[in-house]
Amino acid sequence: MVLAELAAAQTTISTQTAISTGVDADAGLPFWEIRESGMSLRLVQRLPDQTRAFFLARGFARADVDLIAQGCVFQTIFKNTSQTDKPSVLEYNLRDWKVQVADAVRGLKTREDWAAQWAARGVPQPAKIAFEWALLPTRQVYNPGDYNWGMSVFDLPPDSHFDLEVIWQQYGSRHTAVLKNIHCAPDVSVEAELP
Amino acid sequence: MSGQWNTFVVVVCAWLFAASAVTAAEQTLPELPRPIEAPNFELVDLDGGLHKLTDYRGKVVVLNFWATWCPPCRYEMPSMQRGWEAARADGIVFLGVNVGEDADSVFIFLADYSVEFPLLLDKDATVIKQYQVVGLPTTFIIDPQGRITHRVVGSREWDDAALLRELRGLLPKP
Repeated sequence: MVLAELAAAQTTISTQTAISTGVDADAGLPFWEIRESGMSLRLVQRLPDQTRAFFLARGFARADVDLIAQGCVFQTIFKNTSQTDKPSVLEYNLRDWKVQVADAVRGLKTREDWAAQWAARGVPQPAKIAFEWALLPTRQVYNPGDYNWGMSVFDLPPDSHFDLEVIWQQYGSRHTAVLKNIHCAPDVSVEAELP
Repeated sequence: MSGQWNTFVVVVCAWLFAASAVTAAEQTLPELPRPIEAPNFELVDLDGGLHKLTDYRGKVVVLNFWATWCPPCRYEMPSMQRGWEAARADGIVFLGVNVGEDADSVFIFLADYSVEFPLLLDKDATVIKQYQVVGLPTTFIIDPQGRITHRVVGSREWDDAALLRELRGLLPKP
């Protein structure tokens, strides 16, 4: 796994923005990654069944869990790595990011969008709290060395492909990078067969 | 073959250097532009004991918001325990505030992680909102006057010597 990641990174090391893909060593699932001076962002595919198990254990009903699990979920790791070189605060707002599927462009579904949906569906409070904190924050300010892990839900069917335009502010300017052809995990949930 | 091997060695060395640099440098303790009054709270621990922030006036408080399912929270908990062991005699207090879970979930977590400093329950996520946290884990450093001086987002190695030195520097001078 590590060798595959190294090989992927090597092909892009000469450019200022390194975009790579490979298999995440911990999750054993595909990742898409941006590395630029002062930041790194990695999206790691999550299987729908992983997401189902996580949210069922936190008080969601099955129907609500399927809404999330079949919505193309990634574990997102966003870091301000500028402490190793030129320290600088990093800021982002998910509402600036763009999801492109074929010719259609739209925004991400954020914590606040989901909160309205959960309120309408009568989701219990402990489940709503777990969901809110499990998602990547909508807006965040990272000082050098800061980072978050959080789920991102792209609201696309399983097995979809999409491009993601990522936007952040650092070193006094706006930065943009595009991750191409990100793949939502297929849903291979299998019901147990009774003998 | 030799060329490929040399490339491999260079790449591995570069990766190891980068990894060690990140590990060493991630122990940042970002300081607020100016200290702000820490919101007081009253929360119970796993044994039902009540903890008020004001109980700890005169000490440095490391206030960590966390959840059992949060990978960076789990990652930093052992170093928090070691940091607490190293610094508690100096007047540095570690408080873990679990967000949105019940005592049973935390007890299950403690089967795998040895934590002896107080773990408090913020079941309805009221206190975390008062502190305007947006992501877990987030840790605040509160000085002996009850003011937030630092905010840390993401995990750290809390037994890091330089980090502990910085915390001790906030203690009243004898």
